[in-house]
Amino acid sequence: MNAAVANDALAPYGAAFEAVRATVGETAAAREQAFARFAELGFPAPRDEAWKYTSLRRLEARRFAFAGAGGAGPVDTPAVDALSSHRVTVVNGRVTDAALVRSAPLDGIRVRTLSQALEEGEPQGALLRVPTGGGTERFAALNAALSNDAVVIDVAASASVAEPLHVVIAAAGAEPTMIHPRLLIRAGAGSSARIVLHHVGTDSAEHFVNSYVDVEAAADAQLHLYRLQSQGARAFLIERIDATVGQRAAIVVHDAQLGASLSRLDLNARLAAPGAAAELTGLFLADDSRHLDAHVRVDHLAAGTRSLVDYRGIAAGRGRGVFNGKAVVHVDAQQSQARQTSRNLLLTPGAEIDTKPELEIYADDVQCSHGATTGQLDPAALFYLRSRGLDERQARSALTRAFAGAVLSRMDLASYSGAVHSILDARLERLLETTA
Amino acid sequence: MLSIRNLHARIGNRTILKGIDLEVRPGEVHAIMGPNGSGKSTLASVLAGRAGYEVTQGTVEYLGQDLLAMEPEERARAGVFLAFQYPVEIPGVNNAYLLKAALNAVRKQRGEPELDAFEFLALVRDKMKLMQMDESFLNRGVNEGFSGGEKKRNEILQMAVLEPKLALLDETDSGLDIDALRVVANGVNSLRGPERAIVMVTHYQRLLDYIEPDVVHVLSDGRILKSGDKSLALELEKRGYDWVRQEARVA
Ligand SMILES: Nc1ncnc2c1ncn2[C@@H]1O[C@H](COP(=O)(O)OP(=O)(O)OP(=O)(O)O)[C@@H](O)[C@H]1O
Ligand SMILES: [Mg+2]
Repeated sequence: MNAAVANDALAPYGAAFEAVRATVGETAAAREQAFARFAELGFPAPRDEAWKYTSLRRLEARRFAFAGAGGAGPVDTPAVDALSSHRVTVVNGRVTDAALVRSAPLDGIRVRTLSQALEEGEPQGALLRVPTGGGTERFAALNAALSNDAVVIDVAASASVAEPLHVVIAAAGAEPTMIHPRLLIRAGAGSSARIVLHHVGTDSAEHFVNSYVDVEAAADAQLHLYRLQSQGARAFLIERIDATVGQRAAIVVHDAQLGASLSRLDLNARLAAPGAAAELTGLFLADDSRHLDAHVRVDHLAAGTRSLVDYRGIAAGRGRGVFNGKAVVHVDAQQSQARQTSRNLLLTPGAEIDTKPELEIYADDVQCSHGATTGQLDPAALFYLRSRGLDERQARSALTRAFAGAVLSRMDLASYSGAVHSILDARLERLLETTA
Repeated sequence: MLSIRNLHARIGNRTILKGIDLEVRPGEVHAIMGPNGSGKSTLASVLAGRAGYEVTQGTVEYLGQDLLAMEPEERARAGVFLAFQYPVEIPGVNNAYLLKAALNAVRKQRGEPELDAFEFLALVRDKMKLMQMDESFLNRGVNEGFSGGEKKRNEILQMAVLEPKLALLDETDSGLDIDALRVVANGVNSLRGPERAIVMVTHYQRLLDYIEPDVVHVLSDGRILKSGDKSLALELEKRGYDWVRQEARVA
């Protein structure tokens, strides 16, 4: 019986795969394997630890059109503010500004589609990698099977690119559609670059965006990723980012989760060589009945590696936040540092945030710390501000902004932090109107 | 200006204020002294509108209004200012932001236009000079990492900027060094005027050398046991509070 139910839920994905199989040429075998892995894992079982606080039953029950081989026909591209003049737009999994892709959009950064990369002889194994392990392995496999125009972004070795590249991943159209965007970002040795990863969509349709981002930072590279998740209010979004960080290289991720109805991010950093570093900070706003789940994991695999994870969550209304932070310091990672904090703010009584910091240490000479707090606005601070003439709404707003500010102030890209601020401000305004 | 009549207040089921009567007229400076735990800060909190206190009896009238019916921010906008005994640290809320928001809220109430950034800065610089505070304090979080004395100075800076009609100072002198005490007293004195009143809670007669009170009250166990002129403070300094309590028991 269970198997029948599972098959039932997987059937539409199988049909989608049948539709792409004929069009994927030389990658068919790899995709076949990936799809088999997805079919084997299926949707998470009710007691799956990696999905403890996030149920996918609603997603599982939905049926989505597939923006696959044939394309989705004409779609309205959601309006996007320019966060940079250098932009790549992926609408329903397809790169729309092909001209931009062919030329080098920025000095030192090369952008290609999967098929261009294959034509140029790149091995498909690297382009369609399926990671193993973690709660989102199934979805990464599904993505490898069904993604069409993967975007391959290469930062040339030693290039130092000050201007950010703005990658827009859009879900469009009136019909609920499943979309499998895929990004491969490779930062060459000694390079430095900034990439904005921007999810947008329509509020009217229940799209399912299943995104996979594969990141490699070679030795001495500095890669800054600015993630702005403002997917449409009814959307399902699952994204997995796997970053492998090389010797003395650093990856810095800024994450703002402000959209979608149900979203899950798995952000994994593997500090694979001595001196590698990761700084992963984020903010999520789970208002209305939004469900936002972030799983952040850092693996320290080599000596002298450093990680800092600092996530802040705000929940209100019937909103629900989940934060799971895990640092694993492996046996070879002597003299490493792993710091992790998770702070959470509940603005209204019905809201909920579940947080679980985990630390696994197999090396003895390391410095690790982790802490998690969840609370409400400090009544003493609220009273102090009101006693100075600020009304309750102003006071709550000031304290909420202050809470978010600790993460916002690290956002060192003006166009990005400006966009985050304005979305956040508008939402907090509305929130405080209804809750004060 | 302020009439407190038979004020009783409790926290949970513990009664702290047990019948306070106090009359403060414009232009006056009152000092309230009394042992630890006698209810001085509780009185100040009730007047400022802090939640958690239940007034079980009595009334408080401020400029003809029922003060207890007003929200804390309404009280502030109507000219009531409490300098806290323990000012709260609010990391992430900028000191300048708070000063500006507070000033504009008060000005709006008074029917005055909001100040623009330049006018505001000019005003605040002026007041900071008076308080001998470095301008770098403006860009820090409210009281964040301030020393005990700096926090007290910051309270008086806020008061100097907001120019309240009724200032309640709760142990503003505690924790100040000798020079800072003079600076803070200066700040308070600059606010004295025929339309304003000041009620200050203190443990030390020393403050009263700088800010001369018209009336000194002794608050003990939730009641005002004795009131007098500033010589009462000198006497308390010499003899402590026991004799006042005994006198009250006999009476
Ligand atoms: N939340 C509370 N719950 C129970 N008792 C409280 C609470 N807050 C204050 N009290 C008590 O009320 C009494 C009066 O406190 P208050 O702070 O008003 O004293 P005070 O006169 O200002 O003392 P001090 O000179 O030490 O500042 C004290 O005994 C105190 O313990
Ligand atoms: Mg006190």
